[in-house]
Amino acid sequence: MKIILSGPGDMPIYERLKNGIKFQIASGELSPGSMLPSIRVAAKELGIGIITVKRAYDDLCEEGYLFSEQGRGVFVSKSDAEELHKKNLREFAQKMEELKEIAAALNIPPEQAEQIFREIWRKKS
Amino acid sequence: MKKLEYGLDISGLTVDFGNFKLDNITLKVPRGCITGLIGRNGAGKTTLIKTIMRLNSACAGKILYNGLYFPEHEEEVLNKIACVFDSPVYGKGAKPKQLIKYYRRAYKNFDEDKYNALMARFSLPHDLKFSKYSFGMNKKYSLILALCQGADILLLDEPAAGIDPFDRSAVVELIQEFMQDENHTVLFSTHITEDLDRIADYIAMIECGKLRFMEEKEELLNSYRLVQVVEVTEGIKSVAMGLKSTPFGATFLCKTEDVPAGASVKIPSVEELFVALTEEGLTANHSDDPFGL
Repeated sequence: MKIILSGPGDMPIYERLKNGIKFQIASGELSPGSMLPSIRVAAKELGIGIITVKRAYDDLCEEGYLFSEQGRGVFVSKSDAEELHKKNLREFAQKMEELKEIAAALNIPPEQAEQIFREIWRKKS
Repeated sequence: MKKLEYGLDISGLTVDFGNFKLDNITLKVPRGCITGLIGRNGAGKTTLIKTIMRLNSACAGKILYNGLYFPEHEEEVLNKIACVFDSPVYGKGAKPKQLIKYYRRAYKNFDEDKYNALMARFSLPHDLKFSKYSFGMNKKYSLILALCQGADILLLDEPAAGIDPFDRSAVVELIQEFMQDENHTVLFSTHITEDLDRIADYIAMIECGKLRFMEEKEELLNSYRLVQVVEVTEGIKSVAMGLKSTPFGATFLCKTEDVPAGASVKIPSVEELFVALTEEGLTANHSDDPFGL
């Protein structure tokens, strides 16, 4: 079982690990109920701190993506796909909120912001 | 049994050489974690490590090793600590196969299977004089020797100094393997190299023989921002550390809550934090100590 870091290099490492795990849950690479590597193994595989991994796991447990069982390990939540998608949408909406603030500050109307978003999307795929 | 919290519990440690003093160091190194010790040359990193290894005598203070006080548990403590010094402890004329005979006798927990496996893994020859070993090979060999002593507490003085990135990744790998056991503790001093900083859980900084801070790394880094601005105002001067002016503006370090509005920011690396704090320590008066120490 592999886990990954995802996100820009200047983002805190635990955030990148959280992103990576969320991404893998969303893509199905980490299936519901599957066990994650232990904190120490993950730290070694990724070449990062033990506390960094623990923090990412703890956060994801609190946010409902993972759950931990005393003495057994940390697992991917069994919440169904629909619920997970809703959670992802909520989180995405939050990020968009920040962008909206920036757009408003720069006097960019929503139509134009939408157009830029669509263009970025098109170029990427 | 109550779980021990600290691999090393150092309190009020003072070592006085006359021209240099390690001054009243109180440092608790959490067990099961990796702690990186940073500081300029001559700050006292090596002195601290040697004192922990019982090679310097302290004039005050005490050190508990996994909760054990040295004078009362001499043999136990000596079997539980291992150190990689900045230069090899063995003579250049010897060969591994000769040296190992001594280690077998000196360390009752010496793990010979592990030793042979690691020698093979890093392609280190048993029958070659250390003078023929490269610098990187000697570093790896010293680490392997320390790892096979059956110690719980591993100290490393500049484990990455002078070796290439490839050998450094081997050092990082070996340290992280050692940390798979949650009863193990690592304290290393570092000249700041990114791969080594990445695996540290805590960062302790010493300056002129004094401990400046000891904090969880992510929290520490996250409590500062590296800021770029076009214009330096009086407000900025009052919060900026390590302020550097460039033709296009200025960069500086400040506490996250002091970031001026509209500035471009990023979370500092250990290196960036270290440089800015050191500079600030050289120029500022400490009447307003940002660390509350």
